[in-house]
Amino acid sequence: MIERLGFRIEPRSETTAKGRALAVGVALAASLVLCALLFLAVGVSPFAAFQSLAQGAFGTWRAATETLVKATPLIFTGLATAIAFRARLWNIGAEGQVFAGAMFAYWCQSALAGNSAWIQLPVIVLGAMVGGGLYAGLAAILKTRFRVDEVISTVMLNYIIVFALSLLLLKGPWSEAGGFFEQTAKVDPGSILPILFDKTRLHLGFLLALVAAAFVYLMMKKSPVGFEIRAAGSNLRALEVQGTNSRRVILMVMLISGALAGLAGMSEVYGVHYRLKAGAITSYGYTGIIVAILGLLNPWGVVIAAILFGALVNGATFMQIKTGVPSALIYAIEAILLLFYLAGWAASSFKLKRIKP
Amino acid sequence: MIADLLETSIIISVLAATVRIATPILLAALGEMIAERSGVYNMGLEGTMLMGAFTAYIGAYYTGSLWLGVVIAMITGGLMSLIFAFMVITLKVEQIVTGLALNLLGSGLSIFWLRAAFANAGQTPTTPFFDTVPLPLLSDIPFLGPILFDQKILTYVAILLVPATWYFLFRTRYGLELRCAGENPKALDIKGLNVAARQYAAVIFGGLMAGLGGAFLTVGSAARFVPEMTNGRGWLAIVIVIAGLWRPVPVLLATLVFSFLDALQLQIQGIGVAIPYQLLLAMPYVCAILALAIRRSHSGAPAMLGIPYWRR
Repeated sequence: MIERLGFRIEPRSETTAKGRALAVGVALAASLVLCALLFLAVGVSPFAAFQSLAQGAFGTWRAATETLVKATPLIFTGLATAIAFRARLWNIGAEGQVFAGAMFAYWCQSALAGNSAWIQLPVIVLGAMVGGGLYAGLAAILKTRFRVDEVISTVMLNYIIVFALSLLLLKGPWSEAGGFFEQTAKVDPGSILPILFDKTRLHLGFLLALVAAAFVYLMMKKSPVGFEIRAAGSNLRALEVQGTNSRRVILMVMLISGALAGLAGMSEVYGVHYRLKAGAITSYGYTGIIVAILGLLNPWGVVIAAILFGALVNGATFMQIKTGVPSALIYAIEAILLLFYLAGWAASSFKLKRIKP
Repeated sequence: MIADLLETSIIISVLAATVRIATPILLAALGEMIAERSGVYNMGLEGTMLMGAFTAYIGAYYTGSLWLGVVIAMITGGLMSLIFAFMVITLKVEQIVTGLALNLLGSGLSIFWLRAAFANAGQTPTTPFFDTVPLPLLSDIPFLGPILFDQKILTYVAILLVPATWYFLFRTRYGLELRCAGENPKALDIKGLNVAARQYAAVIFGGLMAGLGGAFLTVGSAARFVPEMTNGRGWLAIVIVIAGLWRPVPVLLATLVFSFLDALQLQIQGIGVAIPYQLLLAMPYVCAILALAIRRSHSGAPAMLGIPYWRR
């Protein structure tokens, strides 16, 4: 149709940073408009709703720290997804790896309950990384040895581990003695992540998340591992020709990705809820995928996007109390934001070319 | 206990449940098969089914008609896949990422809408749902009758779609062109036939079927909508298409295997065998991974599946 007007749509050889930034901006604006329409649809003034959303997210010192609390697991899962996607490995399994990390950390820590925090804290951090890494490694081996597509295997593993946790919690070895709910007892005080500021819930996990972001940044920029990951993302075949074992790269990327995701589970269990239950660790993996993409698969971009999403989650609770708009709205908004961004980004990678004078 | 499971009446009830449980997955899988045959991986199937289930429920609730609910679900599924088609065929966005976005959209929008619609109700209201329609004479056949011919209309539709999609794909000109879009789009283009149009049609058909499959979960078999009620069925449908080598009859067989696991699980729970129910519930997902790991043939996939077509 466009060709009749003397134009043709062609892909640009490379997308400019300006184009990408524009795409994010347009996506944000379009999502805001759509969000406003959704508010109108449920009969609430968009102005009042946005105001309460912002107030709930940043209105007070406590609210702002709470936003960072909500952002913490998203930084971990966002980083996990960003690393994998950089290598064009579609690890959709951060959700399950969060569970695996939390479960493995709990398993190790519960054996050491009563010891000093200097023993228990390193154990939960390492345990979470090992648990998440192993679960992701399973998908890597399924891919390299059995040619099972990682999208499918990680999604299936996400479903499987929810049942595994339920099995352990519901009248299982981990269930709270005499408890009615599907959860463990409270964890040992020595294993709790220290609070950073008095009268807030902001805990050590947030600092760990920033350290993780710096680690990912340095790894991607400065280390040969980062080079291999980026090379795998652009051309796995070329990497093989050059003599790198692509199986090893795939396994390595998945191990790192899973370890990062596992930390999210640890940080929620030992930093916020102080007990292991499915509700404490659900949905961070999937949201992390959006965070990673909106963060341009860049570690600091992930941190910013995670804080934005933390603000949304945090503000939405306040908004629900103030205006009665269900806080579930943000899940729809997050997906809409992602769709608009993808469309905007894709559009910015095309150019119109005149084919006839 | 094992003897109980082998009684004829139990076998019939398990197999009839298998066919019933297979319905939504079969509908979605056949639609996905058509879409993938045209070269497009619709990874947004889970979210599309979920929105189908939700809109069928809410549509039936507000209009009071189950069939209108079904139509609304199909339209919703079609719209979801239209978004998908625009994103991946026209804009050429990564198909996996777009699919994920649609899944998250389906999950978020359905929960939000449900809460917004019934904010003040303590419990979400119920709707009626379809009854079985025994086919005259056929349902009287011993053994087979109650299994195959005492089902709901949507189940008959799903089963009839198996030969219908086979005939379409392998015996019609349109089917040939559609397969060509997935195997060698350039050849189609050189012939002056529109690749994108065929892919759009295939993806939208997939969306209509996913919507219909979703509708079966609410107005077809349950009285209300529960958040995340598709519970991986969309993903299982994608696995089934791969395990079924992109062919209608193997897709049907694969669907029946997965549904049988589910039906068996219900029956085992029903008679109270002491196996933790979580193990039984996890079975289909474990089997999905195993099915993909042990399949011998990796061929059968359309050559250009997942790769956008550029005219150079």
